[in-house]
Amino acid sequence: MMIFVGKEYTDLGLSPEDMQGRMEKWFAWGSKMEKAGILRGGEALTPQIRRIVGESRTVTDLTSAEVKEIVGGFYLIEAKDFDAVQEIAQDFPDYDLGNTVEIREIMVFDEH
Amino acid sequence: MENKLVDHLFRHHSGKMVSVLTRIFGLSNLDIIEDAVQDTFIKASISWRKQQPEHPEAWLTKAAKNRVIDIFRTLKAQKNNLPNITQGTDAIAINELFLDAEIEDAQLRMIFTACHPKLDPRDRISFALKTVSGFSTKEIASALLTKEETIKKRLMRARKAIQKSDIQFYIPQGKTLNERLESVMEVLYLIFNEGFHSNNKEHLIREDLCGEAMRLCKLLLKYKQTRSPECYALFALMCFHSARLPAKTSVDNEVLDLKQQNRALWHFPFIQLGNTMMSKAVETEDFSCYHFEAAIAAEHLKAKTFEDTNWNAILKWYQALHQLQPMPSHLLTMAVICIQNKDYETADFYFKQLQPEHLEQRAYLYFAAKADYFAETKNLKEALIYIDLALYSVTNSQEKAYLQNKKAALLQILN
Repeated sequence: MMIFVGKEYTDLGLSPEDMQGRMEKWFAWGSKMEKAGILRGGEALTPQIRRIVGESRTVTDLTSAEVKEIVGGFYLIEAKDFDAVQEIAQDFPDYDLGNTVEIREIMVFDEH
Repeated sequence: MENKLVDHLFRHHSGKMVSVLTRIFGLSNLDIIEDAVQDTFIKASISWRKQQPEHPEAWLTKAAKNRVIDIFRTLKAQKNNLPNITQGTDAIAINELFLDAEIEDAQLRMIFTACHPKLDPRDRISFALKTVSGFSTKEIASALLTKEETIKKRLMRARKAIQKSDIQFYIPQGKTLNERLESVMEVLYLIFNEGFHSNNKEHLIREDLCGEAMRLCKLLLKYKQTRSPECYALFALMCFHSARLPAKTSVDNEVLDLKQQNRALWHFPFIQLGNTMMSKAVETEDFSCYHFEAAIAAEHLKAKTFEDTNWNAILKWYQALHQLQPMPSHLLTMAVICIQNKDYETADFYFKQLQPEHLEQRAYLYFAAKADYFAETKNLKEALIYIDLALYSVTNSQEKAYLQNKKAALLQILN
């Protein structure tokens, strides 16, 4: 799984031109993975957060502007190992915004 | 890549939607409108990552239309007096404002607003690029080689001027139309020149500015009320200049003058389009500055090589231009042309009407031309004095290097 963490477009004041460029890159990346037959899923997440914390289950509603960084979405892909995913993650369009890709492996339990 | 969107779709659409929504909610709500439009693009840029809609433009228009109700609610919460737009005849009327012809009408209104004489001339350009063309402050800053803070201030000033003078969102009619149209054309001319003459290393930004000016000029030509010979001439001028844009910079991104340009790179379709526009521009005898500037540009394009340039014809056009709009830079150009033509007497006639300080930070061009004049008339000592003056007042490093080469050549002859 590739998890995208960082700032939301909403909070960065990107221009329409910039957004179009980024969207096209996202789209190209998605199609590339799809064509390679490795894409298993993925979603973009809206910037609203409801956070529940602690024993007392304190609830706070937040938006992306109020947090340092936010998970913006994820892609689920099938790959051999971390190195293979790292290679695929080179095409992530938003490194220049300071955003991050986190690669995590889905745990597979042995069946007994 | 398949499904590639039209170039600048978001940017252009942003200008369109801001204009339409301003027509509905008025200039006083521009802030809210711009935020709402921005929001539709954020939504699009995220939800289209995986799958683009079949008709992206229609999707964006619909999204903006949906924002009308949101904006309405926001404004209602602020207790503004607003019609009930969510139902009945008002709702139908609003739907119609999103039809293509009405969108263009709204854009024209926005252009006239941005170029209103009550706005400071510098603020007009920034405000037009923001609201009509959908540039961000950052993009405007880098296009105009200015700080982002400065652009923000200009935009703020423009908005204040609109509020203070209670500028209305409409296309002027009757007598005032001509005057206002002139101001619009001037802004488009300046936006174009910012792109064409700038030393900006960012090639794309320069092309964007030229393209934007042309797009808006075309919009003026599309409508009978805003169409005029002057406007055709302005468009022709933009076509002629744009034809040369691909040849204007070297592979190392250096600005090349007419003498150095590879003429094979000139874009022929633009020259043809320019000629067509020019023939429409001269249907009446009313000639504007744009007519003469276009004629000059066309004359340069006619020459197969720099040496083939018809300097006599160009001089004639400059004389006409100078008569209509006297400017020190025209005098200097005419002097330079006369030197090219080895007509030193007339060159001197033009020099005598000029003071270097008239040319402000371009005074070095005067000194350099004088140096050429003296070099050609075999007065090498005077030529050296002037080349030193030119070197003393030049700031651009490229120009400086050019002048230094000239000086070295002079010294070689002298020794």
